[in-house]
Amino acid sequence: MNLEKVVFGFFVVLAATLNFGFFIGDLGDPEMHNVYELFAAVVVNLIATVLKFGDRTQIGAVHLATSLAASLQLVAAAVVWAFATHVSADGMTTEMTASVVSLSGGALFANVVSVVLLVVETVSFQRR
Amino acid sequence: MGNPLLDYLSRLLADHAREREEQDAAEQPVALPDLEAEQSTVGILLVLRRMRIPLIVLILMFAVSVFGLTVIPGQDADGNPSRLTVFDAFYFMSYTATTIGFGEIPHAFTPAQRMWVTFSIFLSVIGWAYAVGSLLALLQDKTFRSALDRKLFARKVARMGDRFVLVVGYGETAKRIAESLDGLGRRFVVLDRSEERVATIDLDAFHADIPALRGDARVTANLTVAGLGHPHCEGVLALSGDDLVNLDVAMTTALVRPGLPVIAQSMSREIEERMRAFGAPEVINPLDRFGDHLRILHRSPAAYQLMVWLTSAPGTPLPKRHAPLPDGHWVICGRGAFGRELTADLRAEGIEVVVVDGDPVPGSGDRFEVAALEESNLGSAAAFVAASDNDMTNLWLLQAAQRINPHVLLVARQNQYGNAVMYEAVGIDFGLVRAEVVAHEAVARLANPMLMRFLPHVPRLGEERAAELVATLVERSGDGTPHLWTVDLTPAEAPAVMPWVEAGTLRLADLVRAPQGREHPLPLVALALIREGATHPAPEEGESLQLGDCLLFAGTSAARRNLEATLFQETTAAYVLEDRVVPNSWVWRRLRG
Repeated sequence: MNLEKVVFGFFVVLAATLNFGFFIGDLGDPEMHNVYELFAAVVVNLIATVLKFGDRTQIGAVHLATSLAASLQLVAAAVVWAFATHVSADGMTTEMTASVVSLSGGALFANVVSVVLLVVETVSFQRR
Repeated sequence: MGNPLLDYLSRLLADHAREREEQDAAEQPVALPDLEAEQSTVGILLVLRRMRIPLIVLILMFAVSVFGLTVIPGQDADGNPSRLTVFDAFYFMSYTATTIGFGEIPHAFTPAQRMWVTFSIFLSVIGWAYAVGSLLALLQDKTFRSALDRKLFARKVARMGDRFVLVVGYGETAKRIAESLDGLGRRFVVLDRSEERVATIDLDAFHADIPALRGDARVTANLTVAGLGHPHCEGVLALSGDDLVNLDVAMTTALVRPGLPVIAQSMSREIEERMRAFGAPEVINPLDRFGDHLRILHRSPAAYQLMVWLTSAPGTPLPKRHAPLPDGHWVICGRGAFGRELTADLRAEGIEVVVVDGDPVPGSGDRFEVAALEESNLGSAAAFVAASDNDMTNLWLLQAAQRINPHVLLVARQNQYGNAVMYEAVGIDFGLVRAEVVAHEAVARLANPMLMRFLPHVPRLGEERAAELVATLVERSGDGTPHLWTVDLTPAEAPAVMPWVEAGTLRLADLVRAPQGREHPLPLVALALIREGATHPAPEEGESLQLGDCLLFAGTSAARRNLEATLFQETTAAYVLEDRVVPNSWVWRRLRG
């Protein structure tokens, strides 16, 4: 068992699961989406991105690219959330909630690609 | 072709055509391993890889602090319970963790919040210290630095717009050649195995920026990065102290870039032969050349003086002329191949030679005994040569020889340049430093391709003509090493004088008159005339020139510009050659008929 692989897999999967947890639920209902879940998703996604730094292989490069895309989407979602709750006079309206959640949905897609890559890598890894 | 603009354009076009030809010739397919792609990202990858853990620590520290701030209960201005939102907490931590300390918060903190903030502050200080420390350590890291240096070097070499020489090995010899090349306005790239020697390049004040790489020249990748495959690379100098490395460089160049000139130093005949098996490198054997120098000096001190001067760094004052070597037999103290070569060279010159061979003592090098010197009829000898490969032995031999025969001419093989002062103190008459011999030979080949056609003829000029040539050169162009250039009498390089060339009335003496006043000669001397492949050294001033002749000139750079004016401008040519004033403009020329 390779500890590095465990940590790597853990963070990649956790990034996807947290993201999914935040995303699931009625799109426009702020009650269904906890901000702490978004916070955790952002943090874990950033860590997953940093973990993918410095890999020179082709699959490593694609890994990094998907993580960067997911982080970017989640940070955008967090910014929209901060804008809605602190700047906008109306607070978390249905529209705002929808845009935060849909942004995180985009990130979820990137995270799913990341998990697929992880699975592909694992399956194609040959050890005798 | 009297119109200066037309004249300029035609020169420009000619230059252009020549450049294109050169490019076509240079752009032959060179199959070298491409290291560029790998090189370009290695630095950034290393940074990312090393910074992984510090960055994760920073993110975690931030996340923990922010999360803590949001869950710890606080109060608003009216005492109602309220908590910081995630955004507020993030904002607070951003300015606190980066030590900006804005101090702007929504409400005063409760003691519980203060406790957590205190903890977060210490946490963030540790996190930042760790991250910044890691980054600084990375910048100091040797692997990282060398990766970065190599990348920078590769980029500099790849962007070389001028032609350059690749110099392998940066020792005493290469340093002298580098000074000469720099003085001649030529570019070069240095590859050396020693970090210290590469570092000294920054200290040696060169006009141009000299890319230098620390690396083993036996690794082909290093030669590639240093520009072996570069279309502007015009030659390779293999001057490392190790013969085998030089052999490797010569072989690699011959195989990878056939036809690229190689000048290699070799201390042994065997390696020399091996080098010659690949392509046609110019091999310089400093031990072999010592005898050649003595032969030339024996024939004609003035010729020797001229040769040394012409192959010195630009601006070198005229070296002093040695007195003619005295007649009589010579005594040589030197062992092995070097002694044999020297003896053969001197005997070929008709000099009687007595060799004193020391008995080899294992571990202590040569051993010569005073008794052996005394037996060798040194008392009646004309000259004594100390030619061991150890400077201390040589100095001792010279002292002993002087004691036995105070009138003997002292000649020494100097091994280390740094010991020159001691040789001078002993009072030698003629000494040769290895580095200097090789430097002169290499510069002779690099300074001007025609120079090597002229130099072999110099010893045959005879003492009188050589002395005359030196005197004229000093009188006309001053006491510094003259500028060398060639002129081809072809329609492309000398359009303005073509009518005279075709009529067969162009005399050398007329061509070198000054455009400012034709009664004065230009500050230059024609060193050689190359006609139909044959070299005529020191042509007479009255010599009439033919189409296709090539002239090698030595003089000041101002003289070169003036001569070019004569060669390219019809009006100047008419004045200089015939004292006739031709109008510059087309209208005036029509009017004058």
